[in-house]
Amino acid sequence: MNSTPILSIDELVENASAPDASETQEYFINMGPQHPATHGVLRLLLKLDGERVRKIVPVLGYIHRGIEKIAENQSYRQMVHLTDRMDYLSAIINNWGVSMAVEKAAGIELNPRIETIRTIFGELERLRSHQLWWGVMGMDLGAFTPFLYCFRDRELLNDIMEKTIGARLTMNYIQPGGLMHDVHEDFVDDVKGFLKGFKSTIDEYDQLLSGNVIFQERVRNVGIMDGATALDYGATGPVLRGSGVAYDLRKVEPYGVYDQVDFDVPVGTTGDSWDRYWIRIEEMRQSVRIIEQLIDNIPDGKHMVVKMAQKIKIPQGRYYSQVETARGVLGTWLVSESEKKEGAYRVHFRSPCFNNLWTLIPMVEGDLIGSLVACMASIDLVIPDIDR
Amino acid sequence: MGIATDHLPGVVEQLPGGSVLVTSFDSVINWARANSLWPLAFGTSCCAIEMLMATGGPRHDLARFGAEVARPSPRQADLLILAGTIVKRMAPRLRLLYEQMAEPRYVIATGACTISGGPFIYNSYSTVRGADEVIPVDVYVPGCPPRPESFFHGLLTLQKLIKTESIRQPGVRHKPVLSELPDGIKVEDIQKEIVALLEGEATVDVNKAAQAKPWPKGT
Repeated sequence: MNSTPILSIDELVENASAPDASETQEYFINMGPQHPATHGVLRLLLKLDGERVRKIVPVLGYIHRGIEKIAENQSYRQMVHLTDRMDYLSAIINNWGVSMAVEKAAGIELNPRIETIRTIFGELERLRSHQLWWGVMGMDLGAFTPFLYCFRDRELLNDIMEKTIGARLTMNYIQPGGLMHDVHEDFVDDVKGFLKGFKSTIDEYDQLLSGNVIFQERVRNVGIMDGATALDYGATGPVLRGSGVAYDLRKVEPYGVYDQVDFDVPVGTTGDSWDRYWIRIEEMRQSVRIIEQLIDNIPDGKHMVVKMAQKIKIPQGRYYSQVETARGVLGTWLVSESEKKEGAYRVHFRSPCFNNLWTLIPMVEGDLIGSLVACMASIDLVIPDIDR
Repeated sequence: MGIATDHLPGVVEQLPGGSVLVTSFDSVINWARANSLWPLAFGTSCCAIEMLMATGGPRHDLARFGAEVARPSPRQADLLILAGTIVKRMAPRLRLLYEQMAEPRYVIATGACTISGGPFIYNSYSTVRGADEVIPVDVYVPGCPPRPESFFHGLLTLQKLIKTESIRQPGVRHKPVLSELPDGIKVEDIQKEIVALLEGEATVDVNKAAQAKPWPKGT
C-alpha cells in the first residue's frame, strides 16, 4: 500500500504541474458520475499521463440515500425492503443477511424447510447476478453479443422468481422468522427444467467469450493484485478469491444448509482480471451443483415460524452477522437500545462493494486507461451498495 | 429541419391554404420524432437494470419502438430516461445533463423514487422527493421497479403526446400525464377489485374499529 498523505481534490489539482517542458504534462479527467462503464453513478477522478493512469481518486455519494438512517426509524421487519435496494443484483441474499442478524439476536429457531428454500433462492440469485455480470463484462470490453445471451437466460430465472415471489428485481422475500410466501407448486419442476438447460448454457458462455483472443488480451495479466494486498484492502468475494485466498463464508462459517452440501471454492493463481472472470464462471457451475443437491430434498414444514402480526424485539446489545453475497461479505451490525423498542438504535451494513472498490487503486495505478475499464468490470461493482 | 421548424410557420401560414401545409409538416415531423427517440440512459440505481437493460434484452426488445439507440451522451439524445433515485448531490448534475440536451427533449421518470422519493421519502436527509423538483417530466411510469411492459406503455404514451405537438408553438410543454390504462380496464373496476380483496382477507372491521376509537376531546 502506498503511504502518500491523503490530499483533498483541490490540493491534488494544484500539485499537478509539469516541471520541465520536455516532460509530458499530467492532467485530470473525470470518469463519471454519468458514464456507461461505471454501471451507475461512480465518479473516478483520474490523474493521467498520456494514457497512463497515475492516480485514481474515487469520489462517492452520488447515490447516497441514507439507508442506514432510514432503517433506524423502522422496525426490524420493515428494514428488510431497504436491503433490496442496496445491492439490487443479489437482493435475496441481502434480505437473508439482515434477517439472519435479527433472528440470531432475537433467538428465533428456524425449521429445515426455511433454511433449504433460502439456500436454493440464494444460489439462484447468485446465478442470476454472475450471469448478468458476464454479459455486462462482455459489453464493457466491446462485445455486445454476451449481453443478449445473458438477458435471454436471465428472463428464464426471472420467471421462476416471479412465480413464487411476484417481483422481478426487488424481492423482499426472506423475512425475519421465515419466508414471505411458501414456494409455488411448480417451483421444483421449473428449477429442474432451468438447470437442465443452464448447464450447457455455461459451456456456451465459455465458448462464446472466454476463448476469444481479443478478450484474453484485454484481461490476462491486467490488474494483478496479490493476496496480501487484497486482504489489506478488505476485499472479499471473487476479488479476494481471484488473488489466491480461499475465503468463502459459505465454507468458513456455514449458514443456511451450506454445511450439508458438497461444493468447491474456485481459487485464482495470479490475481489478474482473468482469474476473477474465471472464478465467477466456475462459481456458476458450483451454484448449479448446490441447487441440484437440494432441489429434490426440500423438507416439509411451515414457511414462517413467527406470526406476521407478532412484533420482533431484540434484547439490549450489539449484534453482528454476515453472509456471502455474489460480490463478497455483507455484514449487518445492529445496536439495540432496549428490549421494549421494536426498531434498532443503529444499523450499519458492511457492504462488499465498498471495500472492493478501493482495490482499483493497487490494480490500475500505472496501467493504461483501457485496463481500468477491464478491471472495473472484473470487480463487478454495484454503486448503490457502495453509497447505501 | 431547423429552417422548416423555426421559420416556416411564420412565412407560410399567411398564404392562402398555408395552414394545411403547416399541419402536414406537423404530422411528418411528429411521426419522425416519435418513432426515433434516442434515449439518454440515466440509470442511477435498481431501475436501471429493468428499464435500461432488460428492455434492451431479447425478450422485451426496445428496438420494436425505435428507441434502442441508447446514448451515454446528452448531446446525441432527445429522450431522458430517469431510472433510479435522485439524491441531492446528483441533482445539479441531472439539471446539467438535461440542459445539455438539444430541443426538443422529453423526459420519462420511471420508478417510485424518481416520481416521489419512493421508499426513501421518509426520514431521508439526502433524497430529492421526485425528479420533477429538478427538471420537467413528461411521463411518469410507476412501479418499484416497473415491469418492462409498463415502461413500454409509458413510451407509447410519450409517442402519442409527441404526435399532438405543433411547429406553430415550438417548445411548448404538455401537462404531465400518467401512463394511461389499457383498453377495456377502468379505474373503478380496479378499485372494486381491491376493495373486494381487502374485505375478503380482512380480520379487522375498519369502520367498527374507527368508531370504537376514543377520539381526543375538542376535535
